[in-house]
Amino acid sequence: MNKTISLCGQSLYRQFSLMLANQPKLGYYLHPLLNWHKPALHPDYHSARIVDFCWETDQMLSVWLEPASSWAGFTAGQHLLVTMLHQGRYISRSFSISSSSVVFARQKQIRISCRIQSQGEFTKALAAGIAELTHLSISDAMGDFVLEPKSDAALEQSIVMVAAGSGITPLWSMLSSLRCWTSPVVLFYCVKNAAQAAFLAELKLLAAKQPLFELQLIETETCGRLNLVQQLKAKAGFSLNNALYYLCGPAAMSRQYKEDLIQQGVPSTAIHAELFGLALTAAEGPLKQALFMQQGKVTTVEAAAGVTLLQAAEHRGLNPRFGCRIGVCYQCVCQKKSGQVLNLRTGQISGDGPEQIQLCISAAHSNLQIEL
Amino acid sequence: MKLTEQQLSELAAELDQVKAGVMSQLGDKEARYIRRMLMTQRLSAISGRIFMVLGFITPWLWVLGVALLALAKILDNMEIGHNVLHGQYDWMNDPVLHSQRFEWDIACDAGSWKRTHNFEHHTYTNIIGKDRDFGYGLLRLSNDFRWRLRNLWQFVTYLLLSTLFQWGVSYHELAGERVFFGKKKPDRINSVSHTDLKKAFFGKGARQLFKDYVFFPLIAGPMWLWVLAGNLLANIIRNLWTSTVIFCGHFTADVHTFTQEQCEGESRGHWYYRQILGSSNFTGPRWFHILTGHLSCQIEHHLFPDMPALHYLTVAPQVQAIAKKYGIAYNSGSFLRQYATVVARIIRYSFPGGKVTTA
Repeated sequence: MNKTISLCGQSLYRQFSLMLANQPKLGYYLHPLLNWHKPALHPDYHSARIVDFCWETDQMLSVWLEPASSWAGFTAGQHLLVTMLHQGRYISRSFSISSSSVVFARQKQIRISCRIQSQGEFTKALAAGIAELTHLSISDAMGDFVLEPKSDAALEQSIVMVAAGSGITPLWSMLSSLRCWTSPVVLFYCVKNAAQAAFLAELKLLAAKQPLFELQLIETETCGRLNLVQQLKAKAGFSLNNALYYLCGPAAMSRQYKEDLIQQGVPSTAIHAELFGLALTAAEGPLKQALFMQQGKVTTVEAAAGVTLLQAAEHRGLNPRFGCRIGVCYQCVCQKKSGQVLNLRTGQISGDGPEQIQLCISAAHSNLQIEL
Repeated sequence: MKLTEQQLSELAAELDQVKAGVMSQLGDKEARYIRRMLMTQRLSAISGRIFMVLGFITPWLWVLGVALLALAKILDNMEIGHNVLHGQYDWMNDPVLHSQRFEWDIACDAGSWKRTHNFEHHTYTNIIGKDRDFGYGLLRLSNDFRWRLRNLWQFVTYLLLSTLFQWGVSYHELAGERVFFGKKKPDRINSVSHTDLKKAFFGKGARQLFKDYVFFPLIAGPMWLWVLAGNLLANIIRNLWTSTVIFCGHFTADVHTFTQEQCEGESRGHWYYRQILGSSNFTGPRWFHILTGHLSCQIEHHLFPDMPALHYLTVAPQVQAIAKKYGIAYNSGSFLRQYATVVARIIRYSFPGGKVTTA
């Protein structure tokens, strides 16, 4: 009943706003007026004041943010979409929150930690502009990569965390938010060398203070890749099947460890993975997969290089809106949620984040998700 | 005067280069400009509506209010709406300025506009039988059309169309699709059902009418009649202005038309060529260009419809030089001269005969 009333209210408000301002919400109409002094604020997201920033390593920048009161908070391990204005345009990228939920409860501040990537538009722009920036826009926190609440029966279950590179961020947030230690936690932290390891001092401090926490730093430069299963089997009194796993790092790494664990009989429900790191992974071979989402229905379209997404979608029986098919009329513009496209008219390769593209002159450069 | 395919492809390459020169530089400057425009529009709309109510102090405040609201409606329609709907600011990735989401303060539904204007008019510019914007199916503007008795009083039709221009624009697609009257043309591919067309037409129209003639008069209390009259006046001023600007862009004396055969399977170069010959510019001070939404540079707009409009003035000399190089007529003149030729054209073709303007 209450839900019906609230839905009715929302639809009434939408109608009213459309009538008065030709916008789905009045905020869109007033945004240019109310935020003239803060043009960087994206009308769909929350404002976050930049409180401070520091370099964790020579490649990782941490930014402390104070979100506006409209922001609802987060659970340790979650990520959010950060949006900034760069050369007149909004660009977005998702980051895991790297600070403790305790700090947010106390000081209303969160920290994001970004590895600056030389090919990445967003991180490069952020690093270059951080000294002048006063605000960023942030989305609600999202994602289910969070510590599973344990039932009383499973209190003994140990926790195994594997972080690779900047994949440490959500795991460090979980660890520093953990108030109640009931079982052993081991963290395998894979980095090229110790100088590249963010939060290392804090992690060592925690290991010294908390007897249930064990830190294993794997310097891949000197000792090679981590063999997770072997390491775990060598641990005294550890049972592979009586543990929860949290993996965070590049997609290929997470996939590999997950397969290894499943082969050892670990149930897949006990393995949590967040795909991370370099998101610019072009799929192998010339054929890319584009997932077209239309009112909840998902269609997989095989998109060959050099074929426009519009053609590819139509070939698969989809009917996106179109007009001139030469990039002039903008009838076919739609929202790309992730992945990179090649603009066939300009030869430019897009960023990886959510943005609007013209289907008729875009070809897949990586696997894609597109909303029609 | 006919160009060879070789020349046409060189023309295309040169114009593409002009475009690339601007498009590769887009950034803060354009974003600041259009945001300032949005702010000006919002400020004049809100203050205009307030001043109108304050008309009880002195009617001059009411006059000021009408002028401000008319200004807001003109900016929303021309420099903001028309240009945003062309996708000129899509690169900013801003939901308020995105062609796919933008809706404007006129009776015409933005979706309908994008189909009839962005697609039909801009793709088939001045092709007789394909571009319904050439005369809007109401006016005979060249001898490509058979004379009918109703053309005799088409100057009056023109004045009426100008006064009610937003409704003409709004009804344009439904007229083409023969939703209410007439027999459907077999060659029209309609992508939208008649039900959806009607829903958009009545929905948007009703919202606009309700806002200006019910909602704002109602909350003005005793000043309701002043507000109602002021809103009506502001809408009419905007209608006359946009109609005049658009007529000066396509219906001046020397504008060319094209046959469907000429344009079958045309190259990009021919498309460019047709855009130059099918449009006309007029000159004026900077503020004047802004009020026209830079459609005073109709030629540049038709060549580069998705280029942020503030750049039309800067690329115009380059375009003019290229046109001269290829011997293509570049139609430009003062606003008054161009408008005079529009009026002359409407009157001339009220009568039988006249020139066939296909190039």
